[in-house]
Amino acid sequence: MSGARRWMIVVGFALIVVGFAGATDVALAQAPGAQSEESVPPSRVVPAGAKPAKGSAMCGVCHSDIRVKYEKGIHRSEGVPCTSCHGGNANALTVEGAHRDGFRGKPARRSIPALCASCHADVARMRFYNLPSDQYALYQLSHHGMKLAKGDESVAVCIDCHGVHEIRKPEDPKSHVFGRNIPATCGKCHGDPAFRKRHGMKEDPVKDYEEGVHGKAYLSGEDPSAPECTRCHGSHGATPPGVGDVERVCGQCHLKTRNYFIASPHKEAMDAAGQPECAACHNSHKTLALPPEKFAESCLACHDKGDKEYQVALTLSRMKNDASSEIAKAEKLVAEAAAIPLYVDDYRSRLQDARTALLEAAPVTHSLDSTLVEPHTRRARSIAARVSQEVHEKVSSRWWHKVGLGLFWFYLLLTATIITRARRRAAGRAR
Amino acid sequence: METNPEGKRSLLGWLEARVNLTEIVSFLSVFGLLPAELDSRKPLREALREAMSQPLPSYARWPRVLGILSFLLFLFLVATGTMLAFYYQPTAEQAYPSVTLIARDVAFGTLIHQVHYWSAVLFLLFLGMRVVRFFFQGLYARGREIVWMVAVLTFVTAAIADLTGRLLPYDASGYWTTVRAREVTDALPVLGPITSFLVGGSGLDSTVLTRYYVLHIAIFPILLLVLFYFHFSSVRRVGMSRLDTAPAHRSLRVAMYDLLLLVIFMVGGLMTLAVLFPQPFDAMADPFQTPPDARPPWYLLAPLVLMEALSFLPKFLRGLIPEAILAAVIFLPFLDRESGSGARRRLFRNLGIALLVIWGVLSWIGWFLEVRR
Repeated sequence: MSGARRWMIVVGFALIVVGFAGATDVALAQAPGAQSEESVPPSRVVPAGAKPAKGSAMCGVCHSDIRVKYEKGIHRSEGVPCTSCHGGNANALTVEGAHRDGFRGKPARRSIPALCASCHADVARMRFYNLPSDQYALYQLSHHGMKLAKGDESVAVCIDCHGVHEIRKPEDPKSHVFGRNIPATCGKCHGDPAFRKRHGMKEDPVKDYEEGVHGKAYLSGEDPSAPECTRCHGSHGATPPGVGDVERVCGQCHLKTRNYFIASPHKEAMDAAGQPECAACHNSHKTLALPPEKFAESCLACHDKGDKEYQVALTLSRMKNDASSEIAKAEKLVAEAAAIPLYVDDYRSRLQDARTALLEAAPVTHSLDSTLVEPHTRRARSIAARVSQEVHEKVSSRWWHKVGLGLFWFYLLLTATIITRARRRAAGRAR
Repeated sequence: METNPEGKRSLLGWLEARVNLTEIVSFLSVFGLLPAELDSRKPLREALREAMSQPLPSYARWPRVLGILSFLLFLFLVATGTMLAFYYQPTAEQAYPSVTLIARDVAFGTLIHQVHYWSAVLFLLFLGMRVVRFFFQGLYARGREIVWMVAVLTFVTAAIADLTGRLLPYDASGYWTTVRAREVTDALPVLGPITSFLVGGSGLDSTVLTRYYVLHIAIFPILLLVLFYFHFSSVRRVGMSRLDTAPAHRSLRVAMYDLLLLVIFMVGGLMTLAVLFPQPFDAMADPFQTPPDARPPWYLLAPLVLMEALSFLPKFLRGLIPEAILAAVIFLPFLDRESGSGARRRLFRNLGIALLVIWGVLSWIGWFLEVRR
């Protein structure tokens, strides 16, 4: 083989190897797992070839920084021009010409809700976007709106939550009013210690919310149906619920619990005593579920240990405690049996029934009537006890394994004795 | 029926006239059960009687018991492993259900499964102890280089076989042990890529599981058998032990009885371990959920800690250190040449003790370090 030919083969082989390596790289780069930020679908659909709204034609020439923000917003894609909020002439070629013809400049803070409402409260305009048009009315009833009307400009106006030029739809994950971002948006003011000090608020509602069951479930993404701030307080009509209204707010989701609560002696007594209903035991922002072994303690905030009311609490607590500890015991046994391994799918589904029964007891507990709670806890307890018993029987029926081992050793030792004898004889013969 | 020389009719005689039984039985010498091949010109009875009465140091007696015990355990592993293979299905979806089926629903399935598990634990343990014993009795000196290298390689091969077996049930602990073990092996410069190539990638899906399966049930057992054969062959050439200077009193017949007794007690021990200390069954492996106590198998804890402690070194060097230690252990007979002076021997002895202690301490650190995470 000539030298040149050999080189050609070597080079050709190298090319093939490099080619394969390249192909692998491309395949890896296109692998479905390799998602970049770009692959998140755009939340607003801008029609292809869309041009800046007519009334914004020349503003961006000077206000390029604002234009960048405006371009990302819903007002740009829906064709709401600069002039509709700021006035002036967008087609003028001079600064003086542009800032004429009813030019408003930066709208006064106090005038902003009315300015936005000039479109957003217009039913005829909003219906084509399927948007509500009552936000302004709600805002005027809210604490924010009422304080603004009194001249307090430190309250939130539209732009504080929705943004100024870069206004995005609430469905857009980058929007400040997108569900998951709401606690941070409200927290801009309500989480700020200086702001709270100025307004005489002691607790940090945002931090409390994050530590409560609602915040944990919602912010972790575990339960998207858990509430953020606006689900309880309202958004545009943001107002803290009054003492007698708490059960209505909580009852929007906790329907059954609410029904049992308003039928209970607590409702009237709490309202009379000025106790904030649900929040009296479960806290407001730092919402806590009261585990069965803890809840009797929380009653002591109002009741004395000697009261007969406290005895009711102890009874309820004991019933739930018994059921949950019975379930825990059965779960432990089932886990042990599964590790052996034994067939436990059936027991697992029955324990699920028991847990459901215990869960059903939770709303009923708010009736404070042990005769109503008892059927649920009894059902949970009896299912769990039965499962425990059956699993225990199944596990302990394995005693014959040990007996078998004993018999086996007996047989082995017998054989060993015989062999030892034979060995001794063989050793004797050899000598 | 034919008649044998004494005029009695016997099945053995009938067979003897048709096949060379002696030659067939002589095959057992391959597995070390007979010290030498039988004389195939003689009838079986006579040849056996002759062989049995030959004097021989019993290998079923301390301290040589470790070798024969590990070989017996190997046979046990093959037997129980074959039974498990009848039901096992090596796919990511079916592996766990099929092992559950073996352990829960097949008659005596749990017992076979547990005996396989405990045999593997003891197998590796005894092979390790055997290497230590060889070291301290100096059984790697001139003439026994092969015996020593084979002993170390047998331990390493058994460890890899153990590692491939851990993934097969596809339960959480097995899966994550393998993941952690692969972290160690992937960090090794030369052995890492070879392992990766052998098992077909770094993922642990069905295709890789099949590779682990084939390696576990075919490649490594055959490799072990070859190594065992090398050992027996080498022992036949250089003798069982340097220390056997005293004339052997026992005949092979007595040694065979000793072996039988050993088998009996080993079976008893395995059954006891399997019944009284069953290895609990984990949940199915979830590649998205790492259990907090996921750590590599015990023999990889020390390399892991060593490599993590040396994290300031470049990756290549870090992996090279455990490999260098392993190479030094394998080629010990060529490093520690008997030069007659006791000082050199003592130096290597102390080095060995130091290595063992460091190994133990690092493993101990690794065990607790991994749990705390």
